[in-house]
Amino acid sequence: MADHRRTLTLTAVLSALIVVSTVAAPMVSARPAHEIPVSEVSTADLAEPNADGWAEVPASDVPLSSAPSSVPNADDTSVEAVDVQAARTDERLYVRLEWHDATRDRNASATREFADAVAVQFPANTSSRPPIAMGGPDNRVNVWYWSGSTGTQELLAGGAGSTTPFENPTVRTNASYTGTGGNATWAVVYSRQLDAPSENRTDLRTDGDLDVAFAVWNGSNGERSGQKAVSEWHYYPFSGGPQGPPYETLLWTLAGIAIVAVVGVTSFGIYRTRGAE
Amino acid sequence: MSTDQQDEQGEEDTLVNVADGVDHQVAMVMDLNKCIGCQTCTIACKNLWTEDGGSEYMYWNNVETKPGEGYPRGWEDSGGGWESGEHSDRSPGEIPDEEDYGRAWEFNHEEIMYEGSDEPLRPRDGAEWGPNWDEDQGAGEYPNSYYFYLPRICNHCTHPSCVEACPRSALYKRQEDGIVLVDQDRCRGYRYCVEGCPYKKVYYNTVSKKSEKCIFCYPRIEGEGPEGETFAPACAEECPPQLRLVGFLDDEEGPIHKLVNEYEVALPLHPEFRTQPNVYYIPPFAPGQHTEDGETVDIDRIPRQYLRNLFGDSVDEALDTIDAHRQRVRQGGESELMELLQDKNPAKQYRLEVFDDE
Ligand code: SF4
Ligand code: SF4
Repeated sequence: MADHRRTLTLTAVLSALIVVSTVAAPMVSARPAHEIPVSEVSTADLAEPNADGWAEVPASDVPLSSAPSSVPNADDTSVEAVDVQAARTDERLYVRLEWHDATRDRNASATREFADAVAVQFPANTSSRPPIAMGGPDNRVNVWYWSGSTGTQELLAGGAGSTTPFENPTVRTNASYTGTGGNATWAVVYSRQLDAPSENRTDLRTDGDLDVAFAVWNGSNGERSGQKAVSEWHYYPFSGGPQGPPYETLLWTLAGIAIVAVVGVTSFGIYRTRGAE
Repeated sequence: MSTDQQDEQGEEDTLVNVADGVDHQVAMVMDLNKCIGCQTCTIACKNLWTEDGGSEYMYWNNVETKPGEGYPRGWEDSGGGWESGEHSDRSPGEIPDEEDYGRAWEFNHEEIMYEGSDEPLRPRDGAEWGPNWDEDQGAGEYPNSYYFYLPRICNHCTHPSCVEACPRSALYKRQEDGIVLVDQDRCRGYRYCVEGCPYKKVYYNTVSKKSEKCIFCYPRIEGEGPEGETFAPACAEECPPQLRLVGFLDDEEGPIHKLVNEYEVALPLHPEFRTQPNVYYIPPFAPGQHTEDGETVDIDRIPRQYLRNLFGDSVDEALDTIDAHRQRVRQGGESELMELLQDKNPAKQYRLEVFDDE
């Protein structure tokens, strides 16, 4: 009898493990390292960093490191990671970035004061991936820049030092700073219509994967220009029609249930065979 | 002979060294023996260029007492410039803070003018340092104390480390005359130029959030005024004792070329920063020291080492040259150098149209 009970317990544990791993799989292991999921949502309550809508959107923890740059103290950056969420309606792409920063630096109105800032970089032309450091002359980038002192700017760059603002920014941002000390975080939401508003602006209706990179500046550490914490290129998986995360999750869940069923039936078979002895 | 400035001057050919890609180089010579510290130059500049919000604390032209902390306080130790005469590695610098520049004080005008207060007119509070705080303090002990005035503008350097410091090439040296300017459209307020200039002659505008600096009054020298007439920079034209010569370093007929390259009596400030300034100074002469009994003795009142720290080792030769020419004139002889240093004819003092026909 003891044998039977052990077999049953083992079966239950195995089944549970399999269910957990199959359901968890689409969240972590199934996603390539540089992929950042984009939730497809119908109506969006996402404009504010603290909007309810963001609770449903998965977050990716993107590591940052000092950008290679010739400016003084380029190695001295303080932000090590940024949490990235992204969601897309029929009309707009929303990107939410959240990172730790113990000081809220919103001013650049003293000679030594620099403001906190953050940026999202896309290829201006999505057909190829530009050099990560502000793009290149033939392969430019769009940068959605937000700084605590100057607000939002939409920039075009074709190599370090070539950054030029678009005259009429079409990117909207909202920022909030919450918590204190070590728990304090900035959260900034960017959004822009999917259609390219003009030439040299990224078409977000692309069918292919959309390259994206991030940068954060900590103003109180004197960070500005090339002294910044940056990510590698990541991408939003816009390719392949209805293969968004919900569909994928459904498939994996079905597969999980199937595996559990098979294990269950097999165990039951073994139990029956042993019981008959 | 440690700097390239001196090396170039040491060579006997007359080819004047201007920066690559620059046709001519504006230059100024200031005779420190004539400065009375009146600050007319400072105010002339301020009224013209730095009256708007965010520039209250800026003095593109300032006059400081030496020895003294200067403006901004301690600027000589704030870093910047080049590591070597090859101009490949810059030495990092610091951005001065508001206190070092000196905040624009608020005065009790309201109380006195409108509220009948009997208080003396004075800054409200926080007046603990300012751009001219240590005026006339100098150094040395009575009866041998000493000081002199040092008027300073941007040097429109031949190797401007401010230009090199900007990752966006927002600062540049104009091709036609070597004036160093900040392109306000390109500037993004990073302030690498502010820290990179060893003379601290680029300033951050706290309202526009961009950097600004002395423009050598280029609209005046271009004749942009109502009469279309060319004027020297306001700091030079307004100076009561008219101690500034303005022209081009490579105008070989002009007094600047003679004073800088031929007689070698006009010297750049702090040549060891290696930016190769184009503002030059006739170093100050001072009477000898006095004994307790009031006898004059043959000991420099301004320690020679102090002048070497400011103007490099060439100051010895420069002072000797001036002294020799003085003696000559005193003994009834002639000296072109003495005439150049005393000339009051504005046509010679400001030679800004010599290359106009090119
Ligand atoms: S003095 Fe300073 S600001 Fe002026 S050109 Fe030289 S390095 Fe640049
Ligand atoms: S106006 Fe002339 S004399 Fe007066 S402080 Fe300026 S340079 Fe010196």
